[in-house]
Amino acid sequence: MRALHENEVKNVKTIQNDTEKDVLSIAGYSDACEAAPAGLVPAEQIAKEDARELAGAGVLLDGGRSGTMVVRDHQPVCVEADSQAFEMLPLATALERYPEVREKYFFKAVPPDYDEVVRRCAAQETPLGFYIRVKAGKKVTLPCQVAMLMASENIAQIVHNIVILEDDSQLELVTGCLTRHSVNRGLHLAVGENYVGRNAKLVSTMVHSWGPEVTTYPRNGTVVAENGRFESNYVSLRPAKQVVSDPQTYLNGKGATAKYLTIVLSAPGSHISTQGTVHLNAEDTGAELMHRGVCTGGEMRQGGLLIGKARCKAHVDCAGMLLDPSGKGSIESVPGLKSYHPDARMSHEASIGKIAPEEVEYLMSFGMEEQEAISMLIRGFLGTDLVGLGKELDGQIAEIAEIAGHGE
Amino acid sequence: MSQATQNILEIRDLCVEAGGKPLLDHLSLAIPEGEVHALLGQNGSGKTSLMMTIMGFTNYHVTRGQILFRGREINELNVGERARLGIAIAQQRPPTINGVTLRSVVRYALKNAPNPEAKLEELAQAAQVEPFLDRNINDGLSGGEIKRAELMQLLALSPAFAMMDEPDSGVDIEALALVGSLINRLFSPDETRPVKRKAGLIITHSGNILQHLHIDKAHIMYNGAIGCSGNPSIMLEQIAKCGYEECVRCMRTR
Repeated sequence: MRALHENEVKNVKTIQNDTEKDVLSIAGYSDACEAAPAGLVPAEQIAKEDARELAGAGVLLDGGRSGTMVVRDHQPVCVEADSQAFEMLPLATALERYPEVREKYFFKAVPPDYDEVVRRCAAQETPLGFYIRVKAGKKVTLPCQVAMLMASENIAQIVHNIVILEDDSQLELVTGCLTRHSVNRGLHLAVGENYVGRNAKLVSTMVHSWGPEVTTYPRNGTVVAENGRFESNYVSLRPAKQVVSDPQTYLNGKGATAKYLTIVLSAPGSHISTQGTVHLNAEDTGAELMHRGVCTGGEMRQGGLLIGKARCKAHVDCAGMLLDPSGKGSIESVPGLKSYHPDARMSHEASIGKIAPEEVEYLMSFGMEEQEAISMLIRGFLGTDLVGLGKELDGQIAEIAEIAGHGE
Repeated sequence: MSQATQNILEIRDLCVEAGGKPLLDHLSLAIPEGEVHALLGQNGSGKTSLMMTIMGFTNYHVTRGQILFRGREINELNVGERARLGIAIAQQRPPTINGVTLRSVVRYALKNAPNPEAKLEELAQAAQVEPFLDRNINDGLSGGEIKRAELMQLLALSPAFAMMDEPDSGVDIEALALVGSLINRLFSPDETRPVKRKAGLIITHSGNILQHLHIDKAHIMYNGAIGCSGNPSIMLEQIAKCGYEECVRCMRTR
């Protein structure tokens, strides 16, 4: 079949981040991890404690999903796909079985020498991660889910995931990346490549939930063909020590569109940098990037860069709420526009504020306690009701509002 | 047989300032249970400040005096606590809040009602606020729309003591009739016993609301205090005839 990425990502700037070599040094992490079952188990057999943790990151093991994959520490422990419409395999298996994957999709949306993180991933002998391919014309009704769980203390988990949507297909994917609540420290490096075919639609929701000493560097690249659509939702629940994320989306086909929604909490001790770039490379492409950050004392950098190389329409909106009066927390909002084409109509807005006391008291005049009013304001700020995310996310965003409202 | 009429609200020698500016000056006022009073007076006389102080908004600092609700001093209670006692306010210029809809606050107000969703729909229809029920609260609404939204909130809360800041200003005849019917419903919830009313305080300039609502007593505010109290119709007639200047002259020469 015709390669979906006919306009393969070209001329991607690689990043020299030698200073990060130390941060990324795997030597600081242990090889020892919990004994895992040999072979794969069905979803119902995943231990109850793990199942509970997974549910907190949007991965539900009690039905209502078209497919489930769980990666624990260094191996897949469950791979189930209940649909004829798509195939889900551990990436290592897919590479063995389908040489085409290595030829056309493996490190094509993210070049293998993009930066130190990607180089580490490319150096893996056996890739760890998932491969999903939705067949042409198939619209998968129930969401498919993957959990990347770090169950052991102080390990380095390096994953590589590839998602391919053939022409006219649709998929909703939920990826939960989390550490067990008992785990403090870890390193999670991830490369994610998505290929969205013509008229296809991929909705990818990532929920992150990390221990306080976890460092995570996701590197994502998505290529969208003609009239394809990529929606990416990212919710960071329990913030890690350090998150540096800058997903790249290449709208290479005419009429391709992308939408990002990023909802992040930065608590004391966290450094969260969530950027994102959309390359509007073809006519009539469009993008909408929305960042909502609540900072209770950590560092937060939020941004979105739109690069318009053709007639297109795009908007980036960063809003931050700084709730920490101690002066240690900070929010930096950096929306950016870069245009190479006079018909690239792009706009941006950014705002950073706090909770307005008049608004809190107005809500209290309905009988609310102060905390209830603050939570309602934060939930309104994070935009749950207006964006129509799934029920799972609503609960998690409400939790962020609670945590932020209590100033923990 | 006479009932002992307790005062639902009593204000004793109240002094209030905001941002260093004095707003209320030794103000005293008593409103008995079941009575609706009107607050008149020129702009800047302190009418809105009095209502906001009663509600407990923190930028209004009480420097002297007491506010008593059903005999209990409430000076130390915050806005939420006073609301839970049964005090509510329909503001003239409430804040706009992004991400919070009229539906969500009314839903909160109705959380203990027997059939909240049905009640919400019914109130929305009665107040004619359906078009903006799911918009950011007070966002881009006209003066009349804000009044209806605020009244819908009061109806949902069903407070023991409701305050309204100029519900009849800038409203045309038709809209005034709607506002009037909503206010009557609020103060006389039992249609079969209209005499048994809840209590309230209404700020009005024009007195137009009196065409739709019976008011028990009117007070004219002057320089942060109550200057004169009496029969609402007579007072409004006097103000219409001779303006507030005559009231000021009268109060000064008393």
